[in-house]
Amino acid sequence: MNRIKKILLVLLIAFIAIQFVRPVRNTNGQVLPTGISKAVSVPGNVHAILQTACYDCHSNNTTYPWYNYVQPVAWILANHIKNGKKELNFSEFGSYPKRKQQSKLKAIADQVKDGDMPLYSYTLIHKNARLTKKENSVIINWAQNEKDSLDKINP
Amino acid sequence: MKSIMAISASILALAFTACNSNSSKQTNNADSTQTQAVAATVTVATNNTNPADGILTGYLDLKNSLAADNGNDAAKNGQEILDALSKFDASALTPEQKKVFLSLVGDIKENSEHIHENGDKIEHQREHFEMLSKDITDLVKSVGTNKTLYLDSCPMYDKGNGTWLSESKKIKNPYLGIKMDTCGVIKETIKN
Repeated sequence: MNRIKKILLVLLIAFIAIQFVRPVRNTNGQVLPTGISKAVSVPGNVHAILQTACYDCHSNNTTYPWYNYVQPVAWILANHIKNGKKELNFSEFGSYPKRKQQSKLKAIADQVKDGDMPLYSYTLIHKNARLTKKENSVIINWAQNEKDSLDKINP
Repeated sequence: MKSIMAISASILALAFTACNSNSSKQTNNADSTQTQAVAATVTVATNNTNPADGILTGYLDLKNSLAADNGNDAAKNGQEILDALSKFDASALTPEQKKVFLSLVGDIKENSEHIHENGDKIEHQREHFEMLSKDITDLVKSVGTNKTLYLDSCPMYDKGNGTWLSESKKIKNPYLGIKMDTCGVIKETIKN
């Protein structure tokens, strides 16, 4: 019994200790000149969906949930965000080469169409990020149209 | 008491290494394209080959794997393209060709990576294959090839946007696979 108590105590100490090791927060607050709205047109309704359902992991501005203050959750989230931004970062979209912009727009449409994005593990907690059928088609049509117009400028 | 100390120490160690490995991985990612560009200039081209040959071979293998509905082979072919890309000899290119290559290399790499990593999701591989096909077509048109190639398209896939390059006149559709493998038309013949 005594032994179990000791182990629990140590775990508690370790838990408290890791609270002091925090990853840098992914918040910038500014619209960068490399943001997607500088490269393609982003209507208000599209922007609203992107912001609620995508930007947490795919931009330089994350709206953190309260539990991000608890470790090791913050590390897990930081890792998700890092991977998400590596695949697609709306804040840096404008600095992508043209070909990559076209590919990413197609990938956005494909991923939403296939139901692979937003991630299930994300919408599980972020209920407002669950896209309705209509929101889905808004994103798909927007991404496809913008890709088509880029294709015309840059065949 | 000793074992408890060991446990707590290992938890903390784990925690710190987790942080460290993350940050070092990040820098690796950022640098990888640059290092590749540098490495690419080292190899020397021989006369009868074309700098894009390796990439093209990997691409055509990939096309045939997808036409055969074989996602696992397609994943291996994705790696083949990545390997060829890292050996690509950009020094043999004219400035104009180099510009085209540099505008495509990132996209080729990314699409090949996705194809490589999704052996169990062939439809996802095909989505990336569609983008990759466009990249490779542009690369070959700029850099040239010793082969005669056919640019095929299929009206039944992605509103006819799904094109691919083939080494033979016979249509083998990489998007629809075995069940619809003859769907498609030759749009263009590419040769030097």
